[in-house]
Amino acid sequence: MRSNPTMRKIPLYKEKEKQLYIRFFEIVLLIVIACGIYTRFNPFEIFLNAEYFWSFIFEDFLPPSMPDFLSTMNSIAITLAMAISATTVGGIMALFVSLFGSEYISPYKGIAKIVRGFATFLRNIPTLVWAFILFSSLGIGTGVGFIALMITSFAFLVRAFIETMDEISSDCVESLEAVGASFWQRVIHGIWPSCIHGYLSWFLYSLEVNIRASTIVGMVGGGGIGMVLLSYIKSFKYHKAAGIILAIAIIVIVVELLTNSLRKKMVE
Amino acid sequence: MEALVKFEHVSKCYPNGVRALRCIDLTIERGEFISIIGPSGAGKSTFLRSINCLNRISEGKIYLDGEEITQKKGKQLRLARRKVGMIFQNYNLVYRLSVLQNVLHGKLGYKQGIKGLFGSYTEEEKLEAIALIEELGLKDYVYSRADELSGGQKQRVGIARAIMQNPDLLLCDEPIASLDPSSAMITMEMLKDMTKKHNITCIANLHQVDIAKQYSTRIIGLKDGNVVFDGRPEELTAEKISEIYGTDLGSLTMEGEKKYA
Amino acid sequence: MDSLLNMNMETEIIEKRKNGKIKISCRQKDHSVRYFLIVIGVLTMISFLFLDIEWGKLLARLPEIPLIFMKLFTFQFDKMDQIIEAFFETVSVAVLSTFLGIVLGLFFGIFAANNILHIKGLPTFVKAFFSFIRAIPTLVWVLLMLVCLGFGPAAGIVGLCIHTTAFFTRSFAQSFEDVSDEVIEALEVTGAGKLQIFFHAILSSSFSQMIAWIGMRFEINFAECAILGMVGAGGVGFMISNSIQSYDYGTAGVAIVLVFLFAYLIERIFVAIKKTLAGKN
Repeated sequence: MRSNPTMRKIPLYKEKEKQLYIRFFEIVLLIVIACGIYTRFNPFEIFLNAEYFWSFIFEDFLPPSMPDFLSTMNSIAITLAMAISATTVGGIMALFVSLFGSEYISPYKGIAKIVRGFATFLRNIPTLVWAFILFSSLGIGTGVGFIALMITSFAFLVRAFIETMDEISSDCVESLEAVGASFWQRVIHGIWPSCIHGYLSWFLYSLEVNIRASTIVGMVGGGGIGMVLLSYIKSFKYHKAAGIILAIAIIVIVVELLTNSLRKKMVE
Repeated sequence: MEALVKFEHVSKCYPNGVRALRCIDLTIERGEFISIIGPSGAGKSTFLRSINCLNRISEGKIYLDGEEITQKKGKQLRLARRKVGMIFQNYNLVYRLSVLQNVLHGKLGYKQGIKGLFGSYTEEEKLEAIALIEELGLKDYVYSRADELSGGQKQRVGIARAIMQNPDLLLCDEPIASLDPSSAMITMEMLKDMTKKHNITCIANLHQVDIAKQYSTRIIGLKDGNVVFDGRPEELTAEKISEIYGTDLGSLTMEGEKKYA
Repeated sequence: MDSLLNMNMETEIIEKRKNGKIKISCRQKDHSVRYFLIVIGVLTMISFLFLDIEWGKLLARLPEIPLIFMKLFTFQFDKMDQIIEAFFETVSVAVLSTFLGIVLGLFFGIFAANNILHIKGLPTFVKAFFSFIRAIPTLVWVLLMLVCLGFGPAAGIVGLCIHTTAFFTRSFAQSFEDVSDEVIEALEVTGAGKLQIFFHAILSSSFSQMIAWIGMRFEINFAECAILGMVGAGGVGFMISNSIQSYDYGTAGVAIVLVFLFAYLIERIFVAIKKTLAGKN
């Protein structure tokens, strides 16, 4: 086979690049296997238990039964209200704070790094951890759920808004600076008009995320539909739990469709 | 009468070690139309932007109308800047606003306090802006969104915004580099007319030597941050041009590339 | 005088506002932003009225937040071995669920993209199905799996994997569909089969986009894993919630910082990967 050296297989990729990819996939695979061993996770076990799994789904779980309509609607409204108010307040705060976090725009260049660092800190601690920290200091209730959601959406939106501004408005900011406009003039006449659509698009995304997060925060003490769901699951009323899950899914899908169509409008 | 702009031993060194300007001494008198030419990376843009402090110089002093602008900060700097209009290669308009709003931005430097923030322009200012827009041939676009315009039209809005400032000096950073040849000529004509009519001194960075020779009263050639030519357009001979651009290819341009890559 | 002259000249271009002043904004102004802001404002007001938060009580307790943080930051390392163990369990769950999600997402993504198999109706059906799955929050899936499979990491992995698969199916399909038709047509002309086209053209074209999706999802999955414990599954979340509930703030603090550092690390790594990929193209 190797008698003729010119018949060597012609490489499709650069040899070095290929090696790099192979090495990368090897490492990923190794990590996955190590994790599998560490957690003693056996995917085939699931298939062995499949019978139990399906019987649970189709007998204990389905069909869903709708619990009391009015009280369900009420708890859904609480969840929605928590998400909407938290996103709005977080968004308004982010609108101002992000101005100081962008290196191009911030009037005090030194502060930009501190602002972004602070936002990164807030963002990288999951919402539910915030909820727990706050519940232990402020007590349980929708107000605390609101604050927990607000913190993470604020931190997320600060980052998103900074990226939007850096992408869009550095040019027009420069021209307004040359005109002799002050910082707030630049913001009101240059940055906000050119970024408002980007802002709103991110705001809608954050709202979508918060609807889901609000359900979860509800479970650990924020109230609303999440709390109702957890109480049904804990008391083995699976048919009713299935009904609640269905309701959550419908709400999320409706909100998603709504925000997606609005977002498309914003981006054009 | 005092010179409009005066450079005294001006140097600029970027944090990455690139020296864009090397000890430049210059004076610019009122009424001149100056073109700055030179290869990419020669420091043309830095030169222009240091006059209104969009770039801070590292050494030396720049005087604007007898006052040292390089020391100014905050409000003082803003007051100085409103007397200096600027035109950009990429027009730098706020594209979601109307042409009229963009032109009125030129008046922002004159506004103070709450009124300035929310941009309540007087009727006289609005009429002035509309007259200017008409003069630049954009009569039908007063209420159009700025992003609906073509490149040449956008640049004319940029000119109108700068003239709106009622400036003594106009800085043009590659004003025609993004335009097709015919809009470039129209734009240059308008620049010349407007600066003459409003008695504005103009400094423009240009890539095209022929256009520079055609329109300016004085040409400055920059190379590697040094002034290598400074004189009237007729004095700019082919020899001088090749000295500025280094047509003695090979070693010269390669080095230039490396330095500013 | 000058302005008077102008006024006569320009009566046909000047537009006036209702109060007689000259209008300056665009002629075709889109009011959607204004309406949108009004709607959001009204909804927020209604939300606040409906929630009826006891602001007084909340504000009165606000000074306790710094106090809690002081307690959290007086780190206690004596349960370090437990924390590390729980932390690695959480990381493992995140890695495994993401990996399985990628594999399954690729598989279902082929069916969900409308430019690969060309089976009428199938993409719509697959997309709708996974949209439904995605709409149910991850934690609810994990709760269901806890009931179904019993306590342990397996419930976390499977629960997360379901949601992750739904996520990847949609996002991968979207990336596949972003590949321009011309590229596909060019290969179709050569007589290549559907799967050949998929592996040679579509997959490699959407590779960098897929990496971005994977990075984004891994970040989410780690955050989700970190909170799984709080609803009863194991891992570092259990350590955090348990420690806080038993007033052992020092231990909770160590665990939270660990979660933060790892989340931050993932973010940085994927930003770097994205940058190098973007640099190559």
